[in-house]
Amino acid sequence: MGLIQRVIEQAGIATIGISIVREYSEQVKPPRTVFLRWPFGHPLGEPHHQAQQRQVMRDCLDKLYTIATPGTIVDLPYIWRRHDFRKET
Amino acid sequence: MITLSRLKNQLLARAATRFPILARKFTDSYTPRASAGRVPWAPPAVPLAQATLALITTAGIHHRQQPPFDMSDSDGDPSYRELDSATLFDDFVITHDYYNHSSADKDPNIILPLDRLKELVDEQILGSSARTHYSFMGHIDGPHIDTLIHHTAVEVAHKLRAQNVDIALLTPG
Repeated sequence: MGLIQRVIEQAGIATIGISIVREYSEQVKPPRTVFLRWPFGHPLGEPHHQAQQRQVMRDCLDKLYTIATPGTIVDLPYIWRRHDFRKET
Repeated sequence: MITLSRLKNQLLARAATRFPILARKFTDSYTPRASAGRVPWAPPAVPLAQATLALITTAGIHHRQQPPFDMSDSDGDPSYRELDSATLFDDFVITHDYYNHSSADKDPNIILPLDRLKELVDEQILGSSARTHYSFMGHIDGPHIDTLIHHTAVEVAHKLRAQNVDIALLTPG
């Protein structure tokens, strides 16, 4: 996925990617990444958990506009099935 | 008819989702192509409230009537599918044997957050959504990596530019 991200950024479009295998992102070096230690197949979280999906989406957009160093990986603090997303806005 | 090798891949993918230690073994056994040199960089050209966003996923989702990704090639399939944001969730399939997509089959927003995207546009937090988003099957190896980075991903980048997309979110499977 990171290879595709690099090609799109190269074309002049700002990109952010979600990673669930940090080691891959460290190797491939996409421009901007948020990392979640979540299971495969769940980059935005659990089915029908709208608050959780929304929070990940908001974090992605926030990091897209605030990461200033190419290749940055931001570790999001959410522990799988342990974080109460109702507290977020 | 599903082949034995496809069945094996699907069972391994299910096990890796249920038991994180197995996922660890799987990821440790694969080395992605490392990138050297300068990391591409394009700052967002417009504020978020004016930006057009496209989603690109490697989770293998596509419209049911589109050809499925080729799961018989162990090096994967570097092609892509165009996704119509207005109709995709009415009738979609996920063709990808290398992760357990039973959760995404129930709610595809966890791999391609189209509904969350629409909400952010309705709330005027985000400018707009691209009409067309793009899907790959993210298990690509061997000679298909060059096809991906020199041909199919470049084609998608050009199509994003043609749609006046400003920013893109990429999601894995």
